[in-house]
Amino acid sequence: MGLFDSDEGKRRLLTVEVPIIERYNQERDAEYRIQLQRQGAGLMLRYRLKPMHNIYEVETRLLSSYPTTPPETRALTPIKPCPHLLQGQLLCMWRQGSSWSTSRWDPARYTCVFAVQSAWRWLACYEVWHDTGEWPLPDAK
Amino acid sequence: MDFRPLNDKERQKLTDALRGNAQSNLAILMNRRDTSFVGATEEVTDEEVISAIKSVPCHY
Repeated sequence: MGLFDSDEGKRRLLTVEVPIIERYNQERDAEYRIQLQRQGAGLMLRYRLKPMHNIYEVETRLLSSYPTTPPETRALTPIKPCPHLLQGQLLCMWRQGSSWSTSRWDPARYTCVFAVQSAWRWLACYEVWHDTGEWPLPDAK
Repeated sequence: MDFRPLNDKERQKLTDALRGNAQSNLAILMNRRDTSFVGATEEVTDEEVISAIKSVPCHY
């Protein structure tokens, strides 16, 4: 299923993803709203998050194979090397090969706004780690 | 980026919320306007649901 080149993908965008992004943006200050940009066969979300005092520029990429494959989220604001950070400042949020269902992206339950919220939680953990050297959540399996 | 650290009280409150979210089903509330941390709660109203980070475990 391609996001833009199949009926199923277009339906997912129009009935699930776009409405929930609009709802997310509804009361948000302009600089914190999700901006959408088509990228080839996929879709890019650009937004800002401010878990505490620091503001982070973030992007979440929905590949053409989304939602079967999880979204990819990276911090554009430079951050220090830390746990759960991959090359290119990619936030490690889901492991599809994990034997724990809680570590896997579930396209039937999650939307792109859930990915944004997960990025917020990741960045909140980073703020704690930055000060203490300790990631505040136990690692999932 | 000039990183502004948390003070002890802020760090403890945020850590408690993150752990409560991961382990005790608490939702974390974001400010609706600028996404800043508001607190953690057991109950989420319909109005808050889009700014509430539910307790869905992730890998990290």
